[in-house]
Amino acid sequence: MPTVRDLRDRIRSLKNTQQITKAMKQVAAAKIRRASTAQHQAQPYATALSDMLRDLMAAVGSVDHPFLKPGTAGAPKGVILMTADKGLAGAFNSNVIRSGEQLARAQGPVVWYAVGNKARNAARRFADRETFAQSLSLGQKIDTARAVAAKVTDDFVAGTISEVVLVSSKLVSMTNQRPETRTLVPIVAPEREKATGPRAEVEFAPSPEAVLTRLLPKYLEFTIFSAMLETDAAFFAAQLLAMNNATENAGKLIDELTLQMNKARQAAITKEMLEIVGGAEAQTG
Amino acid sequence: MAKTIPFRLITPTAAAFEGEAELVIGVGTEGEEGILPSHAPFLTALRPGILRANAVEDGQPRRREFATSGGFMQALPDRITILVDHALTPDEVDVDAARAELQSAQERQKAHAPQTAEFALEAANIDFANARLALRTGA
Repeated sequence: MPTVRDLRDRIRSLKNTQQITKAMKQVAAAKIRRASTAQHQAQPYATALSDMLRDLMAAVGSVDHPFLKPGTAGAPKGVILMTADKGLAGAFNSNVIRSGEQLARAQGPVVWYAVGNKARNAARRFADRETFAQSLSLGQKIDTARAVAAKVTDDFVAGTISEVVLVSSKLVSMTNQRPETRTLVPIVAPEREKATGPRAEVEFAPSPEAVLTRLLPKYLEFTIFSAMLETDAAFFAAQLLAMNNATENAGKLIDELTLQMNKARQAAITKEMLEIVGGAEAQTG
Repeated sequence: MAKTIPFRLITPTAAAFEGEAELVIGVGTEGEEGILPSHAPFLTALRPGILRANAVEDGQPRRREFATSGGFMQALPDRITILVDHALTPDEVDVDAARAELQSAQERQKAHAPQTAEFALEAANIDFANARLALRTGA
């Protein structure tokens, strides 16, 4: 049976933990707002970009662009593994990492490109050597996205990798984030719409092929960028949930321990009273 | 008043301009392209440069200028959309940073042979830096 003092110490330390988790929860809540604003602001660009891509794909016959052709046969796949930089968000990072690991196991050898510190650590472990890695939240995300896009493009064009796959988190809802695997390169044309109305005769300068050649790298860059924004928002959502649960659990534990402590204190008082009464009786007897 | 058309200038992080315009002039890869309302569907790549728009804000004509990096301009009969990596108003231009970038891009370009991708990339950086400086000095 723990003593009253032991229990009091444990309760105190739990209360401290609870304060920390509560603070982290509030920070996450504030950061979610910022992250989803950023995501929201990127939306018009995303819509306009895929709009243009669709027009272009409908207009061009065949384009001699490496992104539209299957990659070098027999080369390993390139996997961009994207996680947050930090933990304390439940299974958020490990879910993504596990998805990547399963993919690698199913598809044979892969070349890792890590975005986010947790992904970097995992990729280092999988590949058993240093891999290309970028931090998720350090610096401007768009610059990071550009660097990653440039690296995978170089490797793809050089034939070191046969395709580019992205494993990242999808923010399904504030309480639900799950890993998602997408093939980025070779680029598959978005659904071709029936060419009707004025959209049918779009004019291109200098030529649809030339515009497409410029647009495709942007498309890759932006897809990575928007996945980074989504990972960011999903991370804070996961952290909010995890910290909320932790705060609740700490509260429950504190209640339980307080009850135990009161019982122990009561028992000690009772015991002391019995001793006094026993002593008094022995004197009078 | 002249006819206007909804015009949006979008970067990956924000909408730099959203409103009505009478005329939009972008620096296309084939030279400057001026777009008026009811233009036939048109899509072009843009080079870094100064983007000009005769905007109409609160019923008043207003000239808007942005230094933009490379991107794309899509004109449809009912709207104009421009996608660029960066779009800066004259107030947003950091002259010192632009000068420094111009210099370092020129240095880096020397290391590459013409006709290579790296050379073209640095040329774009130089153009963007020049556009920012030109916009600020009102040249």
